Amino acid sequence: MIRRRRPHAPIERTAGGYVIRLEDAERNLLTRLLGELSALLTGPPDAPVLQRMFPPAYHLAHDEESETEYQRLMHDDLVASRLDALTTVSTALRDHTVLDETGLRALMQSLNALRLVLGTLLDVDEEHDLDDVSPDDPMVGEHHLYGYLSYLLDAAVRAASS
Amino acid sequence: MSLHQRQNEVMPAPMPVELDEPRNDEVTTPDRPWIVLVWNDPINLMSYVTFVFQKLFGYSLEKATSLMLDVHHKGRAVVSSGVKEKAEIDVFRLHEHGLWATMQQDGG
Repeated sequence: MIRRRRPHAPIERTAGGYVIRLEDAERNLLTRLLGELSALLTGPPDAPVLQRMFPPAYHLAHDEESETEYQRLMHDDLVASRLDALTTVSTALRDHTVLDETGLRALMQSLNALRLVLGTLLDVDEEHDLDDVSPDDPMVGEHHLYGYLSYLLDAAVRAASS
Repeated sequence: MSLHQRQNEVMPAPMPVELDEPRNDEVTTPDRPWIVLVWNDPINLMSYVTFVFQKLFGYSLEKATSLMLDVHHKGRAVVSSGVKEKAEIDVFRLHEHGLWATMQQDGG
């Protein structure tokens, strides 16, 4: 990843809302990733990379019936909620919209959803460190992407807390 | 702060009275609250988890940070409790934010 000094934080709180300050290349990259995630979410529900995005609600064996019922009622709502957030963010990136609190939350949810997919794919652990990833690693690009998304999510949290 | 107090009152604590209950009780006992747990995972950022706890449950930064650290160090934390329907909504909102949340009946 090119580590250039940014003139501004990538997400900044202003009087009118949260401004996304990203270059066109970054907007295009995020838009493409969000599109890929939309396609994943509307594809086969048992794709292994999706498992961290849809955990069970009831984890005890004797609540199995409640779990089945919960998933029957709620799974589609969770998919719809995620797709709504992705649409909000894609639109904001395209139109350079200033985000309100709901929009910022959609951005965080979407960035984190991408991290969940990539993190699952890369099987990251808590000590994930880009410096430990060999340049020869076939997934080196994905590792850097994961680091970039973490950076953006952290920036969004800092903007919200500023 | 009131949420803070209520949270402490319903933290899982083995009460002597529970010894009288059937051991393989699979029927929901209405008077026992449901607790919502968040589990540690290697992906979610500490700053983000703290933020989500503040936003979803109205916890102070201190309370949210303390819960996040419990998740991180102890592997899980009870983040809310109440009737089954409320716990389901809390789990759903946590799942919307990508956190690994589950629920169980307190003491079960």
